[in-house]
Amino acid sequence: MNPSLAPQEAWAPLPASDWNAETARHLLRRAGWTARPDDVARAVSAGLPATLARLFPDPAPALPKPRLVARYEATAPDMQRNAGKGSTEERQRAQRELQDRSRVGLQELSLRWLEYAAQPESAAAAKWVLFLSDVYVVSAEKVRNPAVVHRHFEILGEFGFGPAPALAKAVSRSPAMVVYLDLAQSQLKAPNENFARELFELFVLGEGNYTEADIKEAARAFTGYRVRPEGGFRFDDRQHDKSVKTVFGTSGAFTGDDVIDLAFNQPAAATYLPRELAKFYLCETPLPAAHLAALGDAWRADALDLRALQRRFFGSRLFFAPEFRGNLIKCPVQYLLGLVQDWSLAVAPLPRLTLTPLRQMGQVPFQPPNVRGWVGGRQWINSATIAARRQLAETLFAPLDENSLNADELLDLVAARTNGAGAFTVPDDAFARFRSLAPDAAVAALAADLLPGPVAPATVSQLSQYVAAGGPDPGQRLRRLRRAAVTLAQSPAYQLC
Amino acid sequence: MNAPHASGLPATRREFLGRTAKGIGLLAFSGFAPEFLVRSTLGAPAPETDRRILVVIQLAGGNDGLNTLVPFEDANYYRLRPTLALAKDKVLRAGDTHGLHPACTALHRLLQDGKLAIVQNVGYPNPNRSHFRSTEIWETGSSSDEFAPTGWVGRFLDHACAGQPADAHDPLAIHLTGTGVPQSFMAEKSHPIFGLGGGLANRRENEENRRLLEAMAGNAPADASGNATFLSQTLMDTLVTEKKVQRVIGDYRPSSPYPGSTFASSLRSIAALIAARLPTRVYYATLSGFDTHSGQGPQHANLLTQLSEGLAAFQKDLEALRLADQVLTMTFSEFGRRPSENESRGTDHGTAAPLFVMGSKVKAGLHGTAPDLDLKRNQDLTFSTDFRQVYATAMEQWMQCPSAAVVPGPFAPLGFV
Repeated sequence: MNPSLAPQEAWAPLPASDWNAETARHLLRRAGWTARPDDVARAVSAGLPATLARLFPDPAPALPKPRLVARYEATAPDMQRNAGKGSTEERQRAQRELQDRSRVGLQELSLRWLEYAAQPESAAAAKWVLFLSDVYVVSAEKVRNPAVVHRHFEILGEFGFGPAPALAKAVSRSPAMVVYLDLAQSQLKAPNENFARELFELFVLGEGNYTEADIKEAARAFTGYRVRPEGGFRFDDRQHDKSVKTVFGTSGAFTGDDVIDLAFNQPAAATYLPRELAKFYLCETPLPAAHLAALGDAWRADALDLRALQRRFFGSRLFFAPEFRGNLIKCPVQYLLGLVQDWSLAVAPLPRLTLTPLRQMGQVPFQPPNVRGWVGGRQWINSATIAARRQLAETLFAPLDENSLNADELLDLVAARTNGAGAFTVPDDAFARFRSLAPDAAVAALAADLLPGPVAPATVSQLSQYVAAGGPDPGQRLRRLRRAAVTLAQSPAYQLC
Repeated sequence: MNAPHASGLPATRREFLGRTAKGIGLLAFSGFAPEFLVRSTLGAPAPETDRRILVVIQLAGGNDGLNTLVPFEDANYYRLRPTLALAKDKVLRAGDTHGLHPACTALHRLLQDGKLAIVQNVGYPNPNRSHFRSTEIWETGSSSDEFAPTGWVGRFLDHACAGQPADAHDPLAIHLTGTGVPQSFMAEKSHPIFGLGGGLANRRENEENRRLLEAMAGNAPADASGNATFLSQTLMDTLVTEKKVQRVIGDYRPSSPYPGSTFASSLRSIAALIAARLPTRVYYATLSGFDTHSGQGPQHANLLTQLSEGLAAFQKDLEALRLADQVLTMTFSEFGRRPSENESRGTDHGTAAPLFVMGSKVKAGLHGTAPDLDLKRNQDLTFSTDFRQVYATAMEQWMQCPSAAVVPGPFAPLGFV
C-alpha cells in the first residue's frame, strides 16, 4: 500500500488537532485488542501522548508465574534425575510424568496468559510482547518446559521496552532460546550455526545483510551457552571459543554480546525491526523502503530504544493515515480477546472452550508453526478458519452448556468463579443499553461500538429491519439483538481492525 | 469472460458480489447456483461413482468398552463390576465369550447380517487419561509423547488431494460436531472443509444468521483488492456452500425413517450429502455424554441405543440408495473406562476399548484380541490393537491411500475390511 505521506513527514507526530474518537479507536484497536466506548472517551480527553503512556506503562505489567508452571520448575530437576534411574519401566514412568506435568503447565500458562492479556491494563503490553515473540520466536513444542517459556516471555517484557541490543543479548541467554535454536548443543569443537543464522536473518538484520562466513564466525562467539537442569542460563567458559573471529569485516576475540553489538551497528538493523513492526501493526505488505529508512534513521538517533520506537510509531501521522484504517486482519488471539473485551467477559479457563478455538483459527499461544513465527494477514483466513471464527462467536453468545462439560472442566469453572471471574459468555444484561433504543438506533450503536471505520449504511438497515421484524415483544427483541450482535462479530468488517 | 453468463447468472465471484451489493442478493438465485459454483458441484454430479467415503463417529467422553462388548464368560468381569456388570443372559451374543450391550439390538442385527466388525481392545502405549489430551492423541494419530500439528484425516487430505485446484469449492471433508473443526481435520495445506451444526435445534437461528451474513458479505467494499473484499469473498464462498448443503439436507427424503435423536439426524444429513454425490471423502459426527462417572447404567444404555439405532438407520438408508458399497463407518472414543467400577455406580477414565466398523464391505465379527481382565482393583486394561493400525487399515484397504502418509508406522493392518 502506498502511503499518502512523504517519507520525511510520515513519522512526525500526529497534530493534536487530529486526535479524536476516530483516531483514538484506531490506536486502541491496533495497539490493543479492541476499542471500548469508555476507553475511547478516556483516550480522547487524555490526549495521544498520555494515552500512549497509559497503554505502555513503565514497567510493563508482568504475568506472574502460574501455579502449575512453578510446580513444574520446582519438581522437574528431581524428576529428570529419577528418569535416569531404575528399571526401564520406572524410567519411562518418570519420563511420562514429566511430560504430563509439562503439558498441563503449558496449558495453564496459555490460559493465564490469555486472562492477563485480556485485562485492559495489560492488553497493549501483552500485544507488544506477542509481537516481539513473533520476532524472537521460540516454540513450546520443541522446548517442552513451560517454566522456561514463561521466562522467555518475562524477558521479552523486561527488556522489550528498552534498547534493542540489550533485548537481543537477554534473549540469547533465554533458556528457551538456548534450547530452541540449539545453542545448548553448540560445542567449542563443533559450533552450531542455528542461533547465529536466525539472529542475523530473523531477529536483527534480515536476509541479504550478512554472509555465510559471518554466520560461521558468529556461531563460534555463541559457544558455551548452556541451560542448567533447573532451567536457568549457565555460561560454560571451557566450551566457549575465545579465539579471534571476523564478523562484518571486523576482527576480535568476540563474545556473543560483541556479535550482537556488531549486528546492530549494521545499517540494516535500523530498518529490520521497524519493518516487522509495521507488518504486525500497520499493514501486511511492507512499507516503501524510503519510509522505513526515515523511521530507521530516527530510531538510530534514539539509540535503538524500543520505547522510543513505540512512541514514534504509534504517535506518527503515518500510523493514523486513512489508508491504514480498518484494514488489518485480526489475528485469532485478537479476535478472541477483542470479543472478550467488547463484551466484558472473562476468558473461560477451559482448554476446550478457549485453546481449541484458537487452534481451529490457526494460532495456538506459545506454539508458532516455525522459527519465522506466524505469517499473519490473509494467511489467517480460509474457509475452515472463517468457520472457526463464526463458531467462536456463536459459542460466546450462547449460554455455557454446563451439562456438556466433563468433571475436570466443571472443577476449573468453579475455581475461576471462586476467584471472582465474571461471565464467560455474553449475559442478557450486556444488552441493557441497546434494548431501550429503537431497532435502528440500537443496531447503529452496536455497529459503531464494534466495527472499525465508517459502518456501511446497508449493514445498519439490514440488521435493524431484522430486529424490527421481531416486533415489540421484549424477549423477541432481546433474541434478535443478540443475533444481530453475533452477526456483526462474524461479519467481514469485524475481522478487521 | 466476465460478461454475464448466458443463463443470466454471474460468472465470477466478483461479479456475484457486485450484484449482491446492488441488492439482488443471494436469495434471488434461489433454485440456481451461480456459474462459478456449479463447476463441479451439486448441479453437476461428479462423474466418479465409486468414490469411497469414510464416516468417522466420535463417542465423546470415553465410552465404557467392557459394557459395550461384554466378556460374559469372564468371572473377573463380574468381580470388577459388582453392580454395573451385565448378566450373561441379557447380552446379545457376538460369539462364545462376548456379547453386545442389550441396548445394541440394531447393531447386533448388523453383526448377524455381516455388516458390523468389532475391533477389540484398541488403545495406544502410555495412555493419557485427560479427555483433552487423549482426544488430541486419537485425532492427531500420534504417540502419547508426541505433539503433531496435523490430524490424521488432514494428512489424508494432504495426500489424496495433492494437485487438485485450490479453489475447488466443494468440501472434501465435512464435520457435524457443532463445536468447530475437529483436530483430525487439521492439515498442512488448505482444503475446503466444512462444518454444520450438529442438530436441527437452531435451524431458525442458523437460517437467520446465514441470511444476515450474506447481506453483510454483500455490502461490497469500495476497494476490490483490499482485505475487506477478500474477507467478503471467503465468507461468501462458505455461505454459499452452507446454503447448498442445507438445501440438500432440507430436501432429502430418506426411504425409511431415522430415529428422533440429534445424533441420528446428523447421520441423516450425511446420507443426504452422500446421496447428492458430493465429492466429500470424509464425514465426521459426534455423539457425546460418555463420561459416565456416576449412575452409568441407564445413561450408557441410552447412549448405546442412540448409537445403535442411528447407525442401523444410516446403513439401511445407504442400502436403499444403493450407495452402501461406497461407505465405511467407524467409531472412536478418546479412552475406555476403568475395569473396576467406582463408588458412585459409574466408571472412571481408563484406557483401551473396542470400536465399531460398519459397512457392506466389512469382514463382520470380532477382530483383535480381548483384554486380559486378571487385574487388581483400579488397574487398567492393556491395549492389544493400536488405534493407528485401525487408521492404517482404513487408509490402505478402504481409502486406497498409503498409510505411511497418514500414520507413519509401520502399523500392521487388520482384517476388518
